[in-house]
Amino acid sequence: MQLIISNVSKTYPNGLKALNNINLSIGKGMFGLLGPNGAGKSTLMRTIATLQDPDGGSITLGTIDVLKQKNELRKTLGYLPQDFGFYPKVSAVNLLTHFAVLKGITDKGERKEIVDALLEQTNLYDARKRNVSDYSGGMRQRFGIAQALLGNPKLIIVDEPTAGLDPMERNRFHNLLSEIGEQVIVILSTHIVDDVKNLCKRMVVMNKGTIMLEGTPSEALETVKGKIWRKHINKNEINDYRTAMQVISSHMSDGNLIIHVYAENAPDNSFVPVDGSLEDVYFSTITKN
Amino acid sequence: MFKEIFLFDLKQNFRKPQTYIFFGIFFILTLLLGMLSAGVFNVATSDTNLVMNSANSVAGIIVGLNDGILGLVNSVILVAIMATAIQKDYEYNTHPLFFTKPITKGSYFFGRFLSAFFTAVFVFSAQVIGYYIGCLFGIGKPVMGPFELMNFLQPFLVFMLPNILLLGAIFFSATTFTRNTLPAYLFCIILLVIRSVTSNITADLENKAAAAIWEPFGAEALGYITQYWTPDDQNTKMIPLEGQLLYNRLLWTGIALLITFLSFFRFSFSQFLQPFSLFKRKGEKQEQSSAIQLHSLSLLPRVSQRFSGMENFRQLGYLTRFEFSKMTKSAFFIIICALGIVMMFIISQYMGSIYDTETYPVTYQILESVAGIFQFFIMILIVFFSGTIIWREREQKMDELIGTTPVSNTVLFFSKYLALTAVTAVLLVVIAVTGMLIQVSMSYYHVEPLLYLKAILRMLVSFSIIGGICIALQVFTPNKYLGFFLSLLPVMFINIIFSLLEWDNDLYIFNSSGPSMPYSDMNGYGHTVGTWLLYKTYWLSIVLIICMLALLVFARGKEKGLKARFRLSRTSFGAKHKLALAVCMLMAISAGAFIFYNTNVLHSIVTPKQAEEDAVAFEKKYKKYERTLQPRIVASNISVDIFPEKRNVSVKGSYYLKNKHAAALDTLFINYMGGDNSDYHYTRLEPETGARMLIDDKKYGVKMLLLDKPLAPGDSIRFDFEIDYTPKGFRNNSTGTEVVYNGTFFNNMVFPSIGYYPDAELSSNAARKKYGLKEKPRMAPVNDSLARMNTYISNDADWIRFETTVSTSENQIAIAPGYLQKEWKKDGRRYFHYKMDSPILNFYSYLSAEYEIRKDKWKDVNIEIYYQKGHEYNLDRMISSIKKSLEYFTANFGPYQHRQVRILEFPRYASFAQSFPNTIPYSESVGFIAKVDDKNQEKIDVPFYITAHEVAHQWWAHQVIGGNVQGSVLMSETMSQYSALMVMEKQYGKQAMKKFLKYEMDKYLTGRTMETKKELPLMLCENQDYIHYNKGSVIMYSLKDYLGEQVLNNALSSYLNKVKFQEPPYTNSVEFVSYLRAATPDSLKYIITDMFETITIYENYVKDLSYTKTPEGKYKVSLTVGSVKFRSDSVGKNSKIPVADYMDIGVFAGNTMKGNTEEKELVLQRIKMDKPEKTFEFIVDEKPVSAGIDPYNKLIDRTPGNNTWKFGSKPPKVNTDVKETKGPGSVTVTVSSDD
Repeated sequence: MQLIISNVSKTYPNGLKALNNINLSIGKGMFGLLGPNGAGKSTLMRTIATLQDPDGGSITLGTIDVLKQKNELRKTLGYLPQDFGFYPKVSAVNLLTHFAVLKGITDKGERKEIVDALLEQTNLYDARKRNVSDYSGGMRQRFGIAQALLGNPKLIIVDEPTAGLDPMERNRFHNLLSEIGEQVIVILSTHIVDDVKNLCKRMVVMNKGTIMLEGTPSEALETVKGKIWRKHINKNEINDYRTAMQVISSHMSDGNLIIHVYAENAPDNSFVPVDGSLEDVYFSTITKN
Repeated sequence: MFKEIFLFDLKQNFRKPQTYIFFGIFFILTLLLGMLSAGVFNVATSDTNLVMNSANSVAGIIVGLNDGILGLVNSVILVAIMATAIQKDYEYNTHPLFFTKPITKGSYFFGRFLSAFFTAVFVFSAQVIGYYIGCLFGIGKPVMGPFELMNFLQPFLVFMLPNILLLGAIFFSATTFTRNTLPAYLFCIILLVIRSVTSNITADLENKAAAAIWEPFGAEALGYITQYWTPDDQNTKMIPLEGQLLYNRLLWTGIALLITFLSFFRFSFSQFLQPFSLFKRKGEKQEQSSAIQLHSLSLLPRVSQRFSGMENFRQLGYLTRFEFSKMTKSAFFIIICALGIVMMFIISQYMGSIYDTETYPVTYQILESVAGIFQFFIMILIVFFSGTIIWREREQKMDELIGTTPVSNTVLFFSKYLALTAVTAVLLVVIAVTGMLIQVSMSYYHVEPLLYLKAILRMLVSFSIIGGICIALQVFTPNKYLGFFLSLLPVMFINIIFSLLEWDNDLYIFNSSGPSMPYSDMNGYGHTVGTWLLYKTYWLSIVLIICMLALLVFARGKEKGLKARFRLSRTSFGAKHKLALAVCMLMAISAGAFIFYNTNVLHSIVTPKQAEEDAVAFEKKYKKYERTLQPRIVASNISVDIFPEKRNVSVKGSYYLKNKHAAALDTLFINYMGGDNSDYHYTRLEPETGARMLIDDKKYGVKMLLLDKPLAPGDSIRFDFEIDYTPKGFRNNSTGTEVVYNGTFFNNMVFPSIGYYPDAELSSNAARKKYGLKEKPRMAPVNDSLARMNTYISNDADWIRFETTVSTSENQIAIAPGYLQKEWKKDGRRYFHYKMDSPILNFYSYLSAEYEIRKDKWKDVNIEIYYQKGHEYNLDRMISSIKKSLEYFTANFGPYQHRQVRILEFPRYASFAQSFPNTIPYSESVGFIAKVDDKNQEKIDVPFYITAHEVAHQWWAHQVIGGNVQGSVLMSETMSQYSALMVMEKQYGKQAMKKFLKYEMDKYLTGRTMETKKELPLMLCENQDYIHYNKGSVIMYSLKDYLGEQVLNNALSSYLNKVKFQEPPYTNSVEFVSYLRAATPDSLKYIITDMFETITIYENYVKDLSYTKTPEGKYKVSLTVGSVKFRSDSVGKNSKIPVADYMDIGVFAGNTMKGNTEEKELVLQRIKMDKPEKTFEFIVDEKPVSAGIDPYNKLIDRTPGNNTWKFGSKPPKVNTDVKETKGPGSVTVTVSSDD
């Protein structure tokens, strides 16, 4: 089954063009959607998740016309939004049961079985009686995934799930996701390059509502091979470099600024070539033009 | 630093639109009120003596706007302005920015507090400004006096400013310390409780002074200090900041300052970071989840998702339960419940007070008086919860999680609606259970669970309509708070505005119930159950239509704006949805059409304004026939068939009309109830001899006939009429309650009358002026010889012979005046034939109901009480009262003209008892359910008193009746009051009279403040209740005291003997008073002038009092008292006259028995006050407690409370001044008694 997005555009009433003629075709496995804040990732996620309507274009999942048969899609959808909360004073087991009912799992026995299994799976079983609103960030994200997995979804959308998690929780979360990715279509939207690097079979880089780059991570790396250069510079020279060349990133090290520059050839001798990382791909894409 | 914070904040506040929105709301509301007072709107006009821009009127508006639901709006707005002044720093997380700056606590705290306070003052000043501008529209009209700025400024300073400070300080402190606005909102509800409890408690006079101090907003205090202000006082005086009002303002301003400073001292920057909380959270155990043991996802059990219609219902049920438990577990719900229950118990203690006598807590009383306020809470709760539940997902940021699940909008929406309805149902059950507990706790065991069930079902339907609209509006609105405001529009504001404008068609008054009648033990909900269902169907379908439209834009995703939301949701707008919408529309339209057909086609809606115009047209058209001589009714023979189950009556009757004039008559003017759509159909109205029709005007109910053969003086003709009463359908918002399933009661007003009917004319002189009609005196002058040709209750008859046959259904008894001649059954109906053996006034009634009968006998007089089963409580008291009354009246006034006295209970659609010849219809709500406390000497035995009064009417009205002129009620109502007082005194002793007379004095003094035309002396009284009942009681009791009971009764009886059953011209009060004057010794003649001929008011007071103990163990009392005597004009403008009057002075000891202090007379002397102030000395045996002048308030006194004073403190100085009057002095009415 494939999720096919064609010619999808969306302009907000305030004139912001959030999606500009997006065309994608996504199959089983983890699909990474990488982009800075405000790139239009969440708009795209929500549009696929039936929470928004595009101005034009079409989206299909297998035989389901997503824009017209919203409820059909919802039956096979698992969604974890970027920013979400929970009812206060409701325990994890009760809240998951609540979602199970909403997803149409009305048989009590089955419901209990799947709820317990998912809590087990996300390692929340011991904390199932606690209120979800009191959970730590990592536990909340795991609970979020648990609810997304209810009811055998064929499409799972997770929007920036690892933001704000400590490294250990993030790791844990990655493990969980990568296993899910073996079974169904998973769209992971993130602005953290490592997430994509570790998990995704395929990826796109999005900026300003447009797809800037599409491919597998290794294909992506190919695009910058031999084109990334590094230099230590003085802090206040940065602007000169910015005007002169495509500086894709900069970071401080021992009081000096290290910049990465994207160029076909070394701008001058002081630059040393570096092996382009996925991060460099990302930065070079979004700093283009 | 204070200045910077204060100014910065103030500037911020004045930049917010909400400040101007609140200002605007108040401004528009009071502007409308002002314009309404100024008579800008085209509505019916009534007379008034008051100007609307006096300090008192403005104070009344300010205080009134703080009452009831408007008070709640005030509080909520004040919360919005003041509560968050500091809390907002926390909410927006700006507190670290402030708290780390080098600012002092004082400048931060007071800067914030005062800027919020000033903003609030600005917003609330709109109430005064709006009213002022509204009043300006009335410049030059009599309803507006000269515009004085102080009239507006002073009430603002005295009431509004301290109230804002008090409430503001409370809201500010509560929110600052709990970091949550919920406590402030809850406090608003508590305020509501305080207000409603206060107003219930003050029904008892004793509590008024205390409530005046304790009620926080000065409303009771204002009411208390102005309670006896005459119209003149109200128009010209400023609000005096003294006495109770001063204490009240000082106390509560002090409390406000105390709260402010207390919270200032308790406030600290660090504490603020840890909110004060009643419920300490348990230490959270932070369990670190153990290492991951990942199972394969493929091991997850497979589940089946089902999406059939059946599953939708399961989801609906589940979600409803979920929403329900969320709401019922909220603190708001629990607190509202608790408050409601507490309040019901408090109010039940003061239920149904008439003369301070409680009623039995019958179920309908509980439901109406006690549960009424609770229902108001439910409404608040519905408005609040509808916002909470619709916005919950978005506020908790769960909207996207829920939005992507395959659950339909319909299930999501209706689960919330159903849950809200279920919560309402729970609250209603709480009401019912609390009500039953109250009944049992008051040892009343006739609990009617079924009636509770019916009542709460009705309320539930009504609330579910409100709930539906609120919840739908919340779906439409872009934010919750706007939603709250919009919810209040249909629920409250629109109805207020419509009623101001007299737009009263129930088709557009939201959630209207159609014609309604109160629940009655006799008649249940009566015949309006069907129409009630119809109206509720109409509104419920409309609300459902709105709900289904709301579904189309149900916020599911992230889209904002109705159009985008509709685009997102339209896929669910399928066939089922469309069908349901169509069905609801069909129901709404057909119910609406049927209602319209009934109210606007079968009947017409008459607004008060239209009624005015009709009265004008009638007068203009027919006034010219007023003097056309008419024959008089001398006999009535009427057959009435009542069909209670069909609410149908058919009447066949005939009058004998006699020409009592000197000339022959040829014109017959017949007057009946007209109107295009009247339920009364006069199918026959014709004399036995031939006549030609001159006018047949069905609209105004006039038929004029020219007799073929003129009626010679002394001759009679028979006049036949037939009436068919068949109500067709129903009216807009009223229904006839005369003919009902059980408890029919109507009188001969519905029968045709002879001659022009002046009572149908417009009576308000302000309105008459508007239509260019001449001013109309409320009554003809006392000596008007033409008017005295009629009694004051009938235009077309003197004394008549009366005979009637009345039939009803088999299970009911039908009653009319007269003695039962024969009773029989025919065709499953019961027939009764009644006949009078002596002439009666043309005033008789018909009743029919399923009655129980209690019989007794006094000498040869049969006593019968026809009552509703279950209402046996006071039958013995009534019978005893009848016997004692007959005893006293026959001994003192003369023989009873009848051989029976019957009391007949009728439903509580009216609450009076009324005396017809030997027949006394008596409402179920007065007396029958009164609970008399025999142990308390001071409580009045209401059923005993009312019964005695009505029995007395058999003498005073049915033997002697005055002409249709001023003062005639003196010989009926005042004398019945006096007669009842004497019977009560014989039964319960003098002590019991004190409280009764105290109430009568209070009612008189209060009544005269509300006079809309002019106050008159007792003997010229123009049917003014407060004069002929309340002042009359005090005066007659006092007259008895001066003259002696026997002397007075002899005078009364000789008057009665002279005038009873007289033919025209009828007696008047001048003649009556001449008998009293004759019986009064010369030294006291002045009291007749004071009591009957003028409005005389005293200011009697204690100036100083003290005592010393004598060597013999006795007490030497020195008492200085003062007396000022005023004559008052028709609007209460006083002028002093010299005092040289006899009055009592007394010294009292207090015997404390079981906590009750009982006064004991040590000295009671009648002295002559011939100087304004006099000092007296007495030696008494016991330790005196109090002393004073006219201690029993025998004289009308403008401040009855200061006649006595307790020893040990100096009484306050009494203001004996009268403002200099510019116009003519007092109006003294002197009438010569020459006939």
